[in-house]
Amino acid sequence: MDGCCGQMTVACDPDDVLKMLREEGILELADGCGVEVDLFEAGLDSMAVMQLIVVIEERFGVALGVVDASREALGTPVAMAATINARR
Amino acid sequence: MKVDVLVIGGGSAGLAAAVTASRAGLSTVMVERHGMAGGMGTASLVHTFCGLYFIDGDEARHANAGLPEEIADRMETATGGGPVKMGRVWVLPQHPVEFARIADEILRESGVTVLFHSEVISLEPGWRAKLACRGELREIEAGAVIDASGDAAGAAMLEIQDDRAAADRLQRPAYVSGIQGVVGELAGLTLSGRIVEGVRSGDLPKASLGMHFRESGRRGEIFGTLDLSGEEIGDYDPTDPACLSALEDTGRMVTNAVLRYFKEKQDGWKMAYISHWPARAGVRESRRYLGQAVLTGDDVISGRRFDDEVALATWPLELRETNRGPKLRYPEDGKAAGIPAGALKAAGMEDLYVAGRCISCDHEAQASIRVMGTCFATGQAVGRMVAQPGVGFE
Repeated sequence: MDGCCGQMTVACDPDDVLKMLREEGILELADGCGVEVDLFEAGLDSMAVMQLIVVIEERFGVALGVVDASREALGTPVAMAATINARR
Repeated sequence: MKVDVLVIGGGSAGLAAAVTASRAGLSTVMVERHGMAGGMGTASLVHTFCGLYFIDGDEARHANAGLPEEIADRMETATGGGPVKMGRVWVLPQHPVEFARIADEILRESGVTVLFHSEVISLEPGWRAKLACRGELREIEAGAVIDASGDAAGAAMLEIQDDRAAADRLQRPAYVSGIQGVVGELAGLTLSGRIVEGVRSGDLPKASLGMHFRESGRRGEIFGTLDLSGEEIGDYDPTDPACLSALEDTGRMVTNAVLRYFKEKQDGWKMAYISHWPARAGVRESRRYLGQAVLTGDDVISGRRFDDEVALATWPLELRETNRGPKLRYPEDGKAAGIPAGALKAAGMEDLYVAGRCISCDHEAQASIRVMGTCFATGQAVGRMVAQPGVGFE
């Protein structure tokens, strides 16, 4: 049980993803953007994806890897939350 | 040697300044420490011209007419490519090999006296400069001096007041290498995932997380760019040779580690090799001049215009205070900002001008004006300024 964020037993939801992206400054999101926003359109690139995977591991205790590094798996907060949940 | 204009540094700003001054009829000498002009765009293998075009829009429109546009045209002819849009900004992919050759041609055609392999080591108002070349000193007398050294080397030699962000805020440096032998598509996201796995397993150093790749535009060639913290041996200090040496060493060590890891783990990379190292790591920010005017980040963000503006800044504030990728702050409505003439003139000095990434501005504005397209523009602007009456030996 990793107590760092207390979220190990709770499913990650898309709003958690938005919160993480904003708090960690991984990319600048418009104020009103929703959970279906295209993150690659918003500036997510290969460099930011590396930081993102590291941050996801820190915050959610989930180790994403090569198979998850895709637009399909990380392209929106909804997709990213599903990817994180699937890897638990 | 006695000339009208001495240009210190032959990077994008010095090149533009020397060519413009020489075309205006001034005898001009350009002093450059490497064996080629182009600076970051050649010696450091930075392969994108940023800041050439206005932000937004359906097509790329040049912000600064004249030499910036001419260099871009020559590059497009050389590479066969044109501007591409990345998010809200237009950029021109460029090739360092072509840039070095284009710079030679423009300098030769313009009649600039080029002194490679030398560094200005002392400067006295009036102006007298000493250059060092392989242990021998040479003197140059000049009517005006343009400091395009990037590091405000002239200000340091003159011991006049300069400005510099705190070590922990300076924009981080980048180490760019050429890579060949990769087969198939460049799968950037997959490579990112691969690097994270390598760091997690302990096969790669943590600094590998600053690495990313882009196709060079030439068949089978890619560039690997490693953003470094600069803190390999302590606080980042881009004017300390020990710090710069650690950058070069770390850049090669980490790039080599990533390449070896990919050769083993990544489809298409088995035959990959590093085809060239840069002559030097790319330093984004160090000392800046304190000029007759100081351009601020707020000026850039608000798209402020000036009565005495001599160039336009059209790149967002691209802050890289960490090596975890850029944070972009866009000007309101994507507007261009003016760069006032006073930001290109050293305060309290006659006939001392500055162009490029060390012009008089604050740390935030520097995050916009440091890009090569804008450096061409400020270089051209000072070249025009020195050509005005009252400057030089007349």
